[in-house]
Amino acid sequence: MASYALKRLLLMIPTFIGVTLIGFLIMRLAPGDPAELRAAGGLGGASGAGVSLEKRGAVDEAVAQWRAQYGLDRPVQVQYALWLKNLFTLNFGESFKDNQSVWNKIVERVPVTVKLNLLSLMVVYLVAIPLGMYSATHPNSLGDQVTTLAAFVLFAVPLVWAATMAIVFICGGDFYYLFPPAGLASLDYAEDWPLWRKFKDQAWHVFLPVLLMSYDGFAGLSRYMRASMLEVLSQDFVQVARAKGLEERLVIFKHVLRNSLIPQVTMLASILPGLLGGSVIIETIFSIPGLGQLGYESVLARDYPTVMALFTVSAVLTLIGILISDLLLSVVDPRIAFGRRLQ
Amino acid sequence: MSPASWKAALCLLLLVGCRSGQETETESRGSSSVVSRPDAGKPATGDWLISHSLSDPEQLNPLTSNDASASELLQYIFQSLLTRDPRSLELKPLIAVARPAISVDRRRYTFTIRRDAHFQDGTPLSGEDVLFSIKAIKCPLVNAPFLRVYFDSVVDARLLDEFTIQFSIKEPYFLNESVLGGIDVLPRHYYDPGNLLKDVTLADLRKPADQLSAAIKKFADDFNKNFSRNPMGSGPYKFQSWKTGREIELMRDEKYWGYGKAGVDQPYLDRYKYRIINNLDAALVTLKSGGLDEMNLNPVQHKRGTGSERFKSEFQKYDYFAPNFSYIGWNNEHPIFRDKRVRKAMTYFTNRKQMVRTILFGLGEVVEGPIYFFRPEYDKSLRSYDYDPKKGLELLQQAGWSDSDGDGILDNVVDGRKVPFRFEIKVNAGNTTRKSVALVLQDELKKHGIAATVRELDWTIFLADVKVRKFDAILLGWAMSVNEPDAYQVWHSSQAANKGSNHISFKNARADRILEQYRREFDERKRIELYREFQQILSDEQPYTFLFVGKSVSAVQRRIRGVEVLPGGLRSIDWWVPPPAQKYGQRLTAN
Repeated sequence: MASYALKRLLLMIPTFIGVTLIGFLIMRLAPGDPAELRAAGGLGGASGAGVSLEKRGAVDEAVAQWRAQYGLDRPVQVQYALWLKNLFTLNFGESFKDNQSVWNKIVERVPVTVKLNLLSLMVVYLVAIPLGMYSATHPNSLGDQVTTLAAFVLFAVPLVWAATMAIVFICGGDFYYLFPPAGLASLDYAEDWPLWRKFKDQAWHVFLPVLLMSYDGFAGLSRYMRASMLEVLSQDFVQVARAKGLEERLVIFKHVLRNSLIPQVTMLASILPGLLGGSVIIETIFSIPGLGQLGYESVLARDYPTVMALFTVSAVLTLIGILISDLLLSVVDPRIAFGRRLQ
Repeated sequence: MSPASWKAALCLLLLVGCRSGQETETESRGSSSVVSRPDAGKPATGDWLISHSLSDPEQLNPLTSNDASASELLQYIFQSLLTRDPRSLELKPLIAVARPAISVDRRRYTFTIRRDAHFQDGTPLSGEDVLFSIKAIKCPLVNAPFLRVYFDSVVDARLLDEFTIQFSIKEPYFLNESVLGGIDVLPRHYYDPGNLLKDVTLADLRKPADQLSAAIKKFADDFNKNFSRNPMGSGPYKFQSWKTGREIELMRDEKYWGYGKAGVDQPYLDRYKYRIINNLDAALVTLKSGGLDEMNLNPVQHKRGTGSERFKSEFQKYDYFAPNFSYIGWNNEHPIFRDKRVRKAMTYFTNRKQMVRTILFGLGEVVEGPIYFFRPEYDKSLRSYDYDPKKGLELLQQAGWSDSDGDGILDNVVDGRKVPFRFEIKVNAGNTTRKSVALVLQDELKKHGIAATVRELDWTIFLADVKVRKFDAILLGWAMSVNEPDAYQVWHSSQAANKGSNHISFKNARADRILEQYRREFDERKRIELYREFQQILSDEQPYTFLFVGKSVSAVQRRIRGVEVLPGGLRSIDWWVPPPAQKYGQRLTAN
């Protein structure tokens, strides 16, 4: 087991380098130029890209100066090597936008995104697991078909559309004002509010984004659950359990449920990076200052150091997630025994 | 003067490449010269203004920031030597006592600085701070290359006494006063606490970057890094807080030096809050439910969704010109477009009025030249090329175009070769307005036997093609100067070479002479005369088909008074709220 884990860990190094190299190249090969964007007045301005041409020659020189200041005038492979070197000292560099440490920018936004993602994961699991169980225990019943259909309809609803509809119809304006349309706290939110008031305010703001982030996850997870549970239900030991007169509830919850959760362990691999990945769409539509929004804005501004840092963090988390779920599988399912096979 | 007005003051021409979602800035309805009057009554202090911002500013360092969100905020925090009267657009003193004394050879500008101004931390403002500011701008390691280009011709600056500063300039140029007057005065003790630039001269700063002293390097390093989110100046509003992705807050400085001073802006609102909402739909909903006091509407929001009685009773909409114009640039060296008759014909084929109605939702106005209509230089007598395909066809016939081979496409003999009338219009991808203009024109031209194709390119690639003149026709925009224009960079023939801004290669000897003379002319009346003639030349040559100027629409909560549409748009420093209507905060005791 230990040697297997070590081998996997070592394998992660070339994988990591490959992943970041490809990411680096994709980013650089994509059209767009951070220096030209800055010359144009950045993205904060409403008019987007454009270039001041009053003294075009001078502006070109200014752009060149700016590039030199950020090392963008060097060959791409040198830039990558430098980036990798800095990474080993955990230095993600400084943002092109404001010269602030990229690491601090990320750390500042982690709590927001983790909170949203954790809540949404909870909602997905709390709804999808019982839904899948119901479908598996009542296969092909009307209830099964209706819930399955509903889950798939939700899966098919585009998030952008749903979120915009929600904002227009239930977030104030000309229709109902049930939830706030933007942000994570009221304008007058103060740290000295009593705890319950802070909680109420946050819950009110978080409800809609979390719900919207969750609805399209119901279909997938409930289908996984249904399938794995049906498989377990058809096995002999379930027959035995029933035959020896166990209550159906006990059969389902004690024997079937636990066994059918094993495949769900592999899902962990995607949960870990997902926690930090952030929902670009929801964070952007609801003006939530999380990592998704940061990533989106950084890509638009061609803020290479920030984009690369976010990319690296999620690559590392994905690799760790895969490793953990592989290791966990061998823990929950003793039939999988990597270590021994190696010997 | 704020960084916002920098660009205007320096008559910066901006190649505007709007992207679709953000096209919102430039739109509106109404006529060009109507300026609305502010409400009568005596302004009172108190209340807050909650404004909308689509994104966080990149940073709030007045020299290194180069984005519009930041400029809007920084104009309340920093002040410059001179400012502009918002109505007449004339230069007037702010941190200086008066406009500068200019030497006879027009190469030395001497400013006297007022003795009663101080920074927000109470430190008095003096010539040392002005001198420091120009040094910081000129320091090649400070991350402000885009600002520095305007100060290329400043060769020296020295203090004559504690409150008098003299700038030396390479060559006479009438806009130098505006450039120098636009320097934001930064507190030296705050931005350079170690006084590292004390003995540095502007000449020292002209050395190559690797020969600069360690002190200069350290200063630049600190300056670039440590002042991104903590601006401090002498203006009426102090920076209070910036919660990333949520809001930025400015607070009226109760100790502001300018209270009651004649000719200095008086602030009334206690706070400005900028709520950052990335999504225009969410912002409008927030506005309607009282979470915002003011926002820019996009054309669709203006047309639909803000017309209800309830909306009108709570908000007043203002529309005003966003001073930049769109145009179709004809490559003047292209075999087809070399002939001015052809270019004129193309303008006759372009139904610009209809484009304003249908593409801009009526939020704009057709223009015939590059000068902003509020400027005295603007020539009202310019001939208007109204949509007239018949005239266009006549002109083409005169130029020798006809369908001689009957293939449905006009042809002509150019340089001894038969050339069919086919060309390509390039637009930058994502700009729906420009794409629509190109498509409408393409459709119109097809009726007259002209085959135009429309090609969308990503902005950087598009720009690269423009720079090397790899195009037949392009759709682009320029900023129009609200202040004294200088069109030299765009129209002088010298700028056609070397990737200059005269990308369509317009060459006219008389225009060249006017443009040169104009820059050295210090008499405004003569400058106006020169530019009227210049506009007539452009009108006759039609190097561009000038399209339109768009308008912006803002909705402002009705409790706010003093809102006025000015040549430069809305100006919230003048806004106030009558005490009974005040919504936020407790009124501060009178100042």
